[in-house]
Amino acid sequence: MLLLETYKKLAGEGLWHNNVVFGQNLALCPLLAVTGTATNGLGMGLATLVVLVCSNGLVSLNRHLIPAEVRIPVFVLLIAALVTLVDMTMNAWLHEMHKVLGLFIPLIVTNCSILGRAESYASKNPLVLSLWDGLMMGFGFMLVLVLLGAVREIISSGTLFANASLLLGESLSFLEVTLIPDYRGFLLTALPPGGFIAIGFIIAGKRLVDRLFAARTIRVTTGEALTES
Amino acid sequence: MPLEQLKTRVSYQTLLLAGFALAASALLGIGDWNTRDAIEMRRQEDLKASLAQVIPDELYDNDLLKSTVIVSTDGLSNVQEILVYQARKQGRTTAAAFLLTAPDGYSGNIDMVIGIGPNGEILGVRVIAHAETPGLGDKIEIAKSDWILSFNGRSLENPTVEQWAVKKDRGEFDQFSGATITPRAVVNAVRRGLLFFDMHRSEIVE
Amino acid sequence: MLTIKPTSGPHTGSETGVGSIMRQVIYALLPATAFGLYLFGWPAVNLLVVTLFASLLFETLCLKLAGRPSIPTLKDGSALLTGWLLAMTLPPWAPWWIGVIGAGIAIVLGKQVYGGLGQNLFNPAMLARVVLLISFPLEMTTWADVTPWLTESAPDFNAGLTITFAGLSNPDAVTGATLLGHVKTEWLQKHPLSESLSDFCTLKMWLGMTRGSLGETSALLLFAGGMWLLLKKIITWPIPVSMLASVAVISGLFHVLDSERYLSPVMHLGSGALMCAAFFIATDYVTSPNTPLGQIIFGSLCGLLIYMLRTWGGYPEGAGFAILLMNSLTPLIDHYVKPRIQGRDRRGRPLEENMLKGERGKRKEERGN
Repeated sequence: MLLLETYKKLAGEGLWHNNVVFGQNLALCPLLAVTGTATNGLGMGLATLVVLVCSNGLVSLNRHLIPAEVRIPVFVLLIAALVTLVDMTMNAWLHEMHKVLGLFIPLIVTNCSILGRAESYASKNPLVLSLWDGLMMGFGFMLVLVLLGAVREIISSGTLFANASLLLGESLSFLEVTLIPDYRGFLLTALPPGGFIAIGFIIAGKRLVDRLFAARTIRVTTGEALTES
Repeated sequence: MPLEQLKTRVSYQTLLLAGFALAASALLGIGDWNTRDAIEMRRQEDLKASLAQVIPDELYDNDLLKSTVIVSTDGLSNVQEILVYQARKQGRTTAAAFLLTAPDGYSGNIDMVIGIGPNGEILGVRVIAHAETPGLGDKIEIAKSDWILSFNGRSLENPTVEQWAVKKDRGEFDQFSGATITPRAVVNAVRRGLLFFDMHRSEIVE
Repeated sequence: MLTIKPTSGPHTGSETGVGSIMRQVIYALLPATAFGLYLFGWPAVNLLVVTLFASLLFETLCLKLAGRPSIPTLKDGSALLTGWLLAMTLPPWAPWWIGVIGAGIAIVLGKQVYGGLGQNLFNPAMLARVVLLISFPLEMTTWADVTPWLTESAPDFNAGLTITFAGLSNPDAVTGATLLGHVKTEWLQKHPLSESLSDFCTLKMWLGMTRGSLGETSALLLFAGGMWLLLKKIITWPIPVSMLASVAVISGLFHVLDSERYLSPVMHLGSGALMCAAFFIATDYVTSPNTPLGQIIFGSLCGLLIYMLRTWGGYPEGAGFAILLMNSLTPLIDHYVKPRIQGRDRRGRPLEENMLKGERGKRKEERGN
């Protein structure tokens, strides 16, 4: 029961409250660089997710062996090796995706959230929990990447998940939608400043949701208190 | 000695770091071994795909990437030599293709591939990479506009050398409204490509 | 019995408030705007009206969202002025949605997300113009030919509506390049200035009889409007003077070095958005430095950037980019060039007169001895 609570809490932290982008405001560089389209966001998100889960797992497995003095170089070494592996794998078997994201895949190394999770969670917790934490954090990051990519893609070119079938084969082609036919295009959102502006609005939206929920919770609790008394 | 005590020793830390480095290298080595062939294959597929855009399938039965000839440009371009891919059918050269760069685009180089028939007639031109203004100059891409197809079937005689220019320069080819520099750069580069082919026809089509 | 009738408190009232300042600036813009409307006819009128209306609408919406009363803020005219300035910098025959999107960006992204008037980092009108230029390069570089009102070529009311709301049917026939654009394209074709400017009239350009943005063509009328603002003490001299002077000096220098490659100062001062930017945009209180020295630094760097962007940049005109860049430097300039506090020097140290007659006074005596 207690363990289930821990899993639930980790999921909540990773997906919403302490989300890499929303909560920690980390990893904005890959976030803004690749999210021109939802497909790119999904690809980058998946790649980051794989690296994050693997690095959390490896760090957690070896956490008793690694002395505090050399932990950072060891973490960086592990992450760099993992990223290079993902890079090579994508180049070989997800080539079209790699052509688009190629420049940014190596940059996952510099994604501070991966080192951050290794340092603040995986190095102190058992394997399964660390894997779960990596999965949830990575998933939360991927969701933001896809959301931001979708918003920018719709505004900049009127499509959604364009070329998604290139990412994971024909099975994803159902995702490709042209929302606004003959759209003129609003170029700014496809450029980095547009990414900043869009993420600003999305974070504002998240805060708004939080506030609405907080207001409701207060009302509910005071309501209960009233009925009790 | 218990692990906690061992962990404070510099020799342990050094060995651990070395151990992880070794493990990571081994991992990468295995990864490279497994993906190397696939990556090389993808690279060749990319090249083939761009060549196939400018040389129709029915024109050749050979491997384009394997029958190539290196031709000197004699100062016609800023590169010394151009690698020309030859399309052959039953031993006869039926077409040639090569990469072409327009250095004077609105923002940097425009990389193109051009396919030319043995009589000097253009089979097709495609833009591979460019950094032109989106929405304006990017109409040179086949995905954005049919403009690039207007080169099909053209040669140095059709139109005449003077008319190998955009309409604004009193030539044959349309410019886009709002952008003249990009199409002008492409037209000029294609003309230079034709001149290059013309000068070296005997070497390429033997 | 002594009766005191307190007529007023011991405060001096001021005639100037946000509202009256905004009104004065709009008065100063009137001649240049009127001339622009005369030159480019009904489509320009439509665009101006659409942009102004959209600005007010977006302002109201934002204030509603923020839960603030909208009428007082709308009345101060700041949204109207932002819309007005934006419309002046748009191509006169641009379609209606350019005005609407521009107004939205200026008011929402340029001003209200920061918290409204006085909080914004960038000049809203320039921000909107640059966003539009980057996003819609075709519409933002389609310059209508000069077709003065009541001449044969001028579009009538219905044609005006068609141009603004349905788009130009045959753009190549009735549009062309601005002076700066023309010179830039010709130079890329290796044509020297003496060739590309062979049928060019400087006087016409200064009067404003040339292609360009809706209200930016007439350097003379904008200059007159700017002078009026100076007279009314709405703006001060450091920014416009330093900006125009730096463009004049730098362009003069290069022109002397190579007159076939670089335009003369007369051309630079009279063309593009420079005059409008120098008097009406760069002088925005909110986004420019506070001290005269800071303003001179700001103005001259603006001028330098405008010249560099015009001469070596990708776009023919660089005023928008230059102003935005310098807006972002304004906090830095204000950090290093602080206004002097009463009784203290610039670095915030107390002035000598105010110091206790202690050590320093003693030292002076010693030195005297």
